[in-house]
Amino acid sequence: MFLHILKYELKNGVRTKDLIIWLMVFPIVLGTFFKIAFGSVYNKTEKFSAIPVAVVEETENPAFRQVLNGIESADEPFLKVTYADRAKAEELLDSGDIEGIISSADKLGLTVKQKGLSQTMLKSFVEQYTLREKIAMDAIQTSPEKAQEIISSLMSGTVSSCREIPLTQGNPDMYIQYFYNLIAMVAMFGCMTGMHVTMQNQANLSALGARNNCSPAPKLVTILACLTGSFILQTVCMLLCVTFLAFVLKVDFGDRLPLVYPAAILGGIMGVSFGFFVGSVSHMSQKTKTAVLMSASMLLCFLSGLMVGDLKGTIAQKAPWFNNINPAAVVSDSFYCLNIDEDYTRFITKLITMAVITVVFIMLGFIISRRKKYASV
Amino acid sequence: MEKNVVKINELVKRYGDLIALDHFSLEIKEGEVFGLLGPNGSGKTTTINCLLSLLAYDKGDIEIFGKKMTPVSYDIKKEIGVIMQNVAVFEELTVYENIDYFCGLYITDKAKRKQCVEEAIKFVGLEDFRKFYPKKLSGGLLRRLNIACGIAHKPKLIILDEPTVAVDPQSRNRILEGIQELNRNGATVIYTSHYMEEVEQICTRIAIMDKGRKVAEGTKDELKRMIKNTETITIEILELPDDIRREISGLPHVYDVRFEDSKLVISCSGGKHNLTRVLDVLQKRELSFGRVYTELPTLNDVFLEITGKALRDKED
Repeated sequence: MFLHILKYELKNGVRTKDLIIWLMVFPIVLGTFFKIAFGSVYNKTEKFSAIPVAVVEETENPAFRQVLNGIESADEPFLKVTYADRAKAEELLDSGDIEGIISSADKLGLTVKQKGLSQTMLKSFVEQYTLREKIAMDAIQTSPEKAQEIISSLMSGTVSSCREIPLTQGNPDMYIQYFYNLIAMVAMFGCMTGMHVTMQNQANLSALGARNNCSPAPKLVTILACLTGSFILQTVCMLLCVTFLAFVLKVDFGDRLPLVYPAAILGGIMGVSFGFFVGSVSHMSQKTKTAVLMSASMLLCFLSGLMVGDLKGTIAQKAPWFNNINPAAVVSDSFYCLNIDEDYTRFITKLITMAVITVVFIMLGFIISRRKKYASV
Repeated sequence: MEKNVVKINELVKRYGDLIALDHFSLEIKEGEVFGLLGPNGSGKTTTINCLLSLLAYDKGDIEIFGKKMTPVSYDIKKEIGVIMQNVAVFEELTVYENIDYFCGLYITDKAKRKQCVEEAIKFVGLEDFRKFYPKKLSGGLLRRLNIACGIAHKPKLIILDEPTVAVDPQSRNRILEGIQELNRNGATVIYTSHYMEEVEQICTRIAIMDKGRKVAEGTKDELKRMIKNTETITIEILELPDDIRREISGLPHVYDVRFEDSKLVISCSGGKHNLTRVLDVLQKRELSFGRVYTELPTLNDVFLEITGKALRDKED
């Protein structure tokens, strides 16, 4: 009986267009949109690290050449240098092959054709070099014995003035949070499949529910089979979602991708149980329940900062307990912990919280649904 | 002596201040096609829902197959087939899959189930539609699928709650013939409707309900004998002078004369040659008239006389 109901629950689920749209098409479309929107920023970042530039050496400047060689040999060079004479350099600038011309004479000069981020960075580089060169020259004159040390120090500062040190090997980039939020939102959409379970098993909610209640199949068995089917469907959707983001869109989840999967799966199961609970609590039509459920999950997502980033922080200050029971906040927090924390303590705590919330929702749903007779049908 | 398949005793169901079932009692014998007839809101569906233990009721007892019916009476439920008023099928499963799903809740043996599903498909005439999804079916075919889902497991008691609502005449006839065939094959049938013609056509015994009460019960002939009317004569006529109307009212066995919308309607109770006597009066006064027809009493007349109102709304 259990397997028979489970088989048809799965068949019914994979053919339900609404579920497929919200659980599969929606994350693919929105994830692709995010990738297109934020991908250009990533690409520009790569370009910033290797800005094509021509250097015209009007007088020989070995120190400057050494700095340029140092920059180009770095792991992530931000300049791609072409040495050329003035005419060739201007030709390259006109053709757009380079972003600017640095002329090396008594002092450095910069020629650009247009304004932009690359040009601003070149200007900043030239200004920094000029400033540091002056500091070095002054230091050599005042303390010649420390000249080498000072030059080394200044050079390293020029090549990498500021380095962000992450606590983990994850990707702490702010853009990755959008993809984590997307996964959390898909997990919450699992509530729709959870609601379907109650709709088709309670006689006072649908004709199907009435027919199922007339059958000799025990209610516990039918609900458990339907819930299992919903969990399986939701799990597959979460797996596909994370896999699509990681391997098709090449979203960088760092070295903790394997842990993103269990968090996403548990989040999805919690979403299903949330829908099962909300679906059980009152005698409303399917349309009304769908509207209530979508509104509730959107509100919880909103309060967890999935739409407005700083709202979760505000709630954390005013009512910190709420973030611990808000399913959407718990899901997004688990990803946040995974990304930021070095150890797994908070991440595991979040997983346990999700499991507890899931169990509570399912138990409450069962208690409400186990009614054998209804006041009205 | 025939066994009672269903026994309802003094059932009371209230929705707040509204009494939906008012000390309603009923006994249905094995092999009957029992009709529950009544207007919308009379309590037919509430009776069925209480019978199936879907609804909690305030007072009374319900027994099916001699056992008290409760929500966990799975042994009783196994022998009942239910066809609800609203079509209850999965939109995303095909005709075959829907029938197989519901049949599988009753029959676990796969081979037996497959045979039952095939027989149900054949029974409702959906052989050419087994791979169709419900949304591709017409209203009539959808109703047939609804019925197949309820009877595939070959139940001993079949409960049909207004199964022909919004069904075309061809499908309706097929459904009614099917119900009679199920009965011939040994099933006891409870059939609720507000279509008196259907109930008259297929039911061996009928209970008429109004405002949650049983107002009459018996075979259709027994019910018709309960009322005064034995014949209704209708004559299309343009005008009816008062003196002629008085003369017709005075004829033997005539107990009611109405003239409305150019129709003279005469109700008679007993007697023979009532039509001849009425036509004699009209011819004697040289009044021209159009179509003339007489009708035997219907269940609507029974309901009208017992409750003082028509069984169906005019739009029905």
